[in-house]
Amino acid sequence: MSVGRRSSASATARLSVLVAVLSVPIFTGVWELVARSGIVNTVLFPPPSTVAVAILEWIRSGQFFADLMASLSRVAAGFAIGAAGGIVLGVLTGRFQLVSSLLSPLFHILRPIPPIAFVPIVILWFGLSETGKLFLVVWGVFFTVWLATHIGVQKVDHGLIRAAQMLGTPQPQMLWEIVLLGALPYITVGLRTAVSISFYTLVAAELAGAFAGIVYRIEIAQQNMQTGQVMGGLAALGLLSFIADRSFATLAERAVWWR
Amino acid sequence: MTPSLLRPDQPLRLVDTYPPSAPARQAIIRVEDLSIVFDAPSGQVIAVDRVSLAVAQGEFVSIVGPSGCGKSTLLNAMAGLERPFEGQVLIAGEAMRKPRPEIGMVFQQPHLFPWKSVRRNIAHGPRALGKPKAEALRIADDLIEMIGLTGFASAYPHTLSGGMQQRVAIARALANQPRVLLMDEPFGALDAQTRAVMQDNLLELRERINATIVFVTHDIDEAILLSDRVLIMSAGPGRILKDLQVSLPRPRSSAIVAEAAYLALKRDCLDLIRSEGRRAFEQMEIRM
Ligand SMILES: Nc1ncnc2c1ncn2[C@@H]1O[C@H](COP(=O)(O)OP(=O)(O)O)[C@@H](O)[C@H]1O
Ligand SMILES: [Mg+2]
Repeated sequence: MSVGRRSSASATARLSVLVAVLSVPIFTGVWELVARSGIVNTVLFPPPSTVAVAILEWIRSGQFFADLMASLSRVAAGFAIGAAGGIVLGVLTGRFQLVSSLLSPLFHILRPIPPIAFVPIVILWFGLSETGKLFLVVWGVFFTVWLATHIGVQKVDHGLIRAAQMLGTPQPQMLWEIVLLGALPYITVGLRTAVSISFYTLVAAELAGAFAGIVYRIEIAQQNMQTGQVMGGLAALGLLSFIADRSFATLAERAVWWR
Repeated sequence: MTPSLLRPDQPLRLVDTYPPSAPARQAIIRVEDLSIVFDAPSGQVIAVDRVSLAVAQGEFVSIVGPSGCGKSTLLNAMAGLERPFEGQVLIAGEAMRKPRPEIGMVFQQPHLFPWKSVRRNIAHGPRALGKPKAEALRIADDLIEMIGLTGFASAYPHTLSGGMQQRVAIARALANQPRVLLMDEPFGALDAQTRAVMQDNLLELRERINATIVFVTHDIDEAILLSDRVLIMSAGPGRILKDLQVSLPRPRSSAIVAEAAYLALKRDCLDLIRSEGRRAFEQMEIRM
């Protein structure tokens, strides 16, 4: 009886793996059939084969690589600056009441404003320059990382800090080793959230006006009614942010190496 | 160069030389009329109430009392982690206002740095005090041997048992060669068997280090076994009720608990605590 139940359970497990493997091909197949059946307008809803052709063409022309590098460097630079600033200020506000009293109210007012809402003023300030795009990504990343660090620092095991104090740990080492590493589990969660945010803000930044970039390419294709290219761009963006999130998750697990 | 905290060449004492009467020796710790008050939601809590005591150089003193009576607060004040409300704590003649590296502390929880190996945890103190890395690691290696954790030098704390972690915490505190070692129920979180082993380890260790030790516990057996002197604290507000000399011969081991002199001492302590408990209980009833 129990053997029977177990074997039926493993059969269910195998079936679900099979279905999972087939999920995307089935979905793509249905899409292809529907698009070719004549029920829908293929100009607005092209079949996956057309999208694939558009992607290949994009790659062959060399534009894909240029777009990829443009987008990637904005995200990476913005993420690095925003995260570094968020961590440093988070440690300071989390550890020093006075710094927190000075900055936290301001940050809490600015933080809930969606970064996209800053596009108009960023255009006023920076025009269509790279600085403006960087600003948006930095802005989006900073507050998330700051808050995660601030909370993480306050949750650092007090016993750890007392132990370090008793051993004569100097203040800088206390901040940048004990407190920072003690808060690292929280910080990595904040950083991972910030990875997705950096992609949201990238979209806003490139839609606001750019000369290269994946989202820029999507917009241009839309203006030319190249729906296949639009979908190809979306797929590339999705894949890119998926890879970024996954590799960051792996990295974050390694960063907290003692768990 | 072996670090001077080790005195492996010193013969084990076979006769009772402990304790020379406290006043005859220089007191290294002086607690003078110390009171510590906390602000709690329900009003002020007096955790330590006008406590005075002295601990002689090289002495092992235990502080015993029911939980919540202010033992940790008193010890934290000696560590410089808690500010006096009134009175003061003098160690080596200097008032304790903040932690000093010559005062080591072992807490009930090991509080090891989870991101550091055993070796690096122990080397943390010497490094923090500016010793070169090689020297710090050498000190760590010597201590690892002393606490019997050879082979675990590069292990991370979470892979060790509670008893092993606490031994690392003791070694970490000893790495700065403290003149005073404060221990706050260091074996309180361990199971009975491990605790007995740790007590014997500490007795052995005691023979090899120079530190004066103040040891907080709520376990009378542990206090008598380890100490030259046992201070008994009353249930809150914390005051010292009684100061008992333990003139049992050293070296000791946990086997001592069967001896008549030991049992007599323990009976004294228990009577005292029982009558104190009754008094506290009656007071509480009157208040209610
Ligand atoms: N930080 C604090 N804030 C408020 N009350 C405290 C604080 N620390 C300790 N107390 C109170 O002081 C008393 C003594 O505590 P403690 O020294 O930890 O006792 P023990 O170590 O003997 O168990 C207790 O009543 C406790 O609730
Ligand atoms: Mg306590």
